[in-house]
Amino acid sequence: MDHLVTSRRLFNGLLLGTAFGALLPASQALANPQPGGTLTITTTPEPAIITNALSSAPTTAELATKIFDGLLEYDLELKPKPSLAESWTISPDGKTITFKLRQGVTWHDGKPFTSADVQFALMEVVKKFHPRGQGNLGPVQSIDTPDAHTAVFNLAHPYPPLMMGLSSLESPIVPRHIYEGTDFRNNPAVNAPIGTGPFKFARWEKGNFIQLDKNENYWRPGRPYLDRLIVRFIADSATRAAGIERGEIDVATFGTINPVEMRRLETLPHLAIAKGGYEAIAPVMMLELNVQKPPFDDKRVRLAVAYALDRTFITRAIWHGFGKPAVGPISSFMKGNGAFTDQNILRFDVRDRLEIANRLLDEAGLKRGANGMRVKIFHDPAPFGEDWRRMGEYIKQALARVGIDVELRNRDYPSFVRLVHNEYDFNMTSTWSIGMADPTLGVQRQTWSKTINRAVPFGNVSQYSNPEVDKLWEAAQTEIDPAKRNQIFHKLQELLVADSPIIWLMEMDLVAVQNKRVKDLITSPLGLRGGLYETWIQR
Amino acid sequence: MWFARGRYILERLVRGLPIILAIVVVNFFLIRLAPGDAAQVIAGEAGAASEEYMAQIRRQFGLDQPLYIQFLSYMKNIVTFDLGYSFRHGREVSSLIFDRLGATAILMGAAMVISVTLGTLLGAIAAMRDRTIVSHIIVIFAVVSYATPLFWVGLMLIIVFAIQLGWFPTSGIITVGADYTGLRAVIDVLHHLVLPAVALSCFYMALYARLMRSSMLETLGQDYIRTARAKGLGDRSILVVHALRNAVLPVLTMAGVQVSGMLGGSVIVESVFGWPGLGLLAFESLFARDINLLLGIFFLSSILVVVTNAVVDVIYTIVDPRIALNTGRTNG
Repeated sequence: MDHLVTSRRLFNGLLLGTAFGALLPASQALANPQPGGTLTITTTPEPAIITNALSSAPTTAELATKIFDGLLEYDLELKPKPSLAESWTISPDGKTITFKLRQGVTWHDGKPFTSADVQFALMEVVKKFHPRGQGNLGPVQSIDTPDAHTAVFNLAHPYPPLMMGLSSLESPIVPRHIYEGTDFRNNPAVNAPIGTGPFKFARWEKGNFIQLDKNENYWRPGRPYLDRLIVRFIADSATRAAGIERGEIDVATFGTINPVEMRRLETLPHLAIAKGGYEAIAPVMMLELNVQKPPFDDKRVRLAVAYALDRTFITRAIWHGFGKPAVGPISSFMKGNGAFTDQNILRFDVRDRLEIANRLLDEAGLKRGANGMRVKIFHDPAPFGEDWRRMGEYIKQALARVGIDVELRNRDYPSFVRLVHNEYDFNMTSTWSIGMADPTLGVQRQTWSKTINRAVPFGNVSQYSNPEVDKLWEAAQTEIDPAKRNQIFHKLQELLVADSPIIWLMEMDLVAVQNKRVKDLITSPLGLRGGLYETWIQR
Repeated sequence: MWFARGRYILERLVRGLPIILAIVVVNFFLIRLAPGDAAQVIAGEAGAASEEYMAQIRRQFGLDQPLYIQFLSYMKNIVTFDLGYSFRHGREVSSLIFDRLGATAILMGAAMVISVTLGTLLGAIAAMRDRTIVSHIIVIFAVVSYATPLFWVGLMLIIVFAIQLGWFPTSGIITVGADYTGLRAVIDVLHHLVLPAVALSCFYMALYARLMRSSMLETLGQDYIRTARAKGLGDRSILVVHALRNAVLPVLTMAGVQVSGMLGGSVIVESVFGWPGLGLLAFESLFARDINLLLGIFFLSSILVVVTNAVVDVIYTIVDPRIALNTGRTNG
């Protein structure tokens, strides 16, 4: 298959790469939004279900966030904004949060939305079923509903990240009257959801498309602008590119089109790259090292790998500039709330990095053998597509230069999860992780010793356990002073990079390709995982 | 004669039952040799999951049961034609398959008609005009289309006829969101069908043309053709009555194989043209370890193979009366 893919790429490059089309500046017309029209998006893979209270799969979220609202939204600085909750007050001890809910909101089936829905959705559904429910709502012990439009959260201890986990992406509000007393997972509404959001579920032709229609009774007056949202599923990346090139598709989400192809499409007069809209997701690409097994049980070998890899090359050549080199686990997307720092952090992009790497390996006692190699390791690239395999090939070459012999093991998805995440049968594996809007919600699970769990994939697969790091993560969970909390995160950033159980490679830009007639596509830090109620089409 | 044929088919089908059951058993265990299960895929896709969540999924899917219990309950369902439930899709396997059957049948049917007709025709022409420029062109064309990777043909068609010329849509089976009805909807589907059907036909057409040509050449060299000529029969009569009918048998065999594989669809063509058929469904369910769904597709495919084989054997006897239906136990 590999050579087929390569030849197809080559072919595309030769035949289509003649980047004709003038380079127009992406000037946004300052016209008033025009209501109406159909927006066609393509994404991949087709989700298994479209109720994100039960799954946080990326494409499930892309669909469900149009159908459901959360209590809150966030602005581009990641500050909370009203959504189903109009206002909120936090008690001085941080253990009681009172939300005033919006009045006059109805579900898509016409029933009124009340505080009972909030209580049911968060306590009975999201906290129990959402894969990140425990992380987002863990300390919430109960929700009181003194009246139909007040919800009082009672917390076991102060939990600042809670306020960052109440968007429609993380904690969607689902209707009590549909789900109460039913087997949630097998309720037919799971795949024909009823929400309060800007779009209503219309139909799902499996293997083909999902259609959402405008919610005429949406509580935001005059929104959404679009009449209809269609999400198409096309299995082949080149065909998706052809679809957006020909104008049959308006928006191709990240991962649907290869980076190299995105760079070509970008040059066409009617297409553009939609940047932004992943600030609250803060995605970081990384190499996880198995610290329980030689050779990566030795910190010097881990650091040698960190020095040997050229992050700038990875960003530029493999990912075609869709990202920037990472500093550490906490992404610079979290500058807004102050959690990010690049001060006092060990840097690997120094001029003599290869000498340092070689010296570290010598010190670790890994001497070069007859073939120039010191040690052999297995690298299991994430099974997310050809770009990941190519990064694996680069890593093999780069590490060979310092005498680490890498054997690549490319596997299909279920095998990868079983062998790497369940059986810990690996030395090094690549992945990407979403940091979410708060390090406690997204970053913590990579290195907190309590998230070492064979049964649960995509936790602390490095099996890194450091009492000092644990103490800091746990302190950050309950610290209510934002300044002190950020100091904890800065210390974590410093400690973790210095120890490098994981090599954080690149902050990813989850860009989409869009037709220029689509306006106001990215208006929130959730981007395409937001409600798209401000998006409109110019005619 | 017709009664005998009916009885023959019935007997063949009855004898096919143990084969189908054996296929089901082998499939059931074979699929489980692949590492990873559906719960891990779902949790993996979710990005993170708690232990309770994984246990919940496993319990619901019945993955926490011992293998022999899973097997027994599956067999119990299969003999009552209950294909089970796809937990991943939250729907009955039969309804998932049925939904995709139409798209696959249209695509494979169209490709079948185009490729058998044109392939036979081209092959016959090439044989009759052997060692002429026409024959050379046909042979070269057949070799090239046979050897060209399907995805490349598909992408070429998209680039030329969809992007450059704009005659056809790039992908899909209908214009999504247009909500056509009646005749307009039929035309819409046909419009979408052209490119994938042509792409898929290329391969089979080449196959049939080559088969037909060689088979025809062989037939034309047979004694009975010489005899027919000696009797003074005209060229047309010799070709149609004596040569074509005999030469078409290998094509028939191949067409049977094509029909048998129909339920599998064509993963490549469906993938390149975004055609929502069974091939893609099977392909995706393999990577999702959606075992019930995969077994369901395999089960129906095995039935189709057994039925098609029986039918093709009967058609042989119609095309070539010298072949007798053998209902004996010694061979079959």
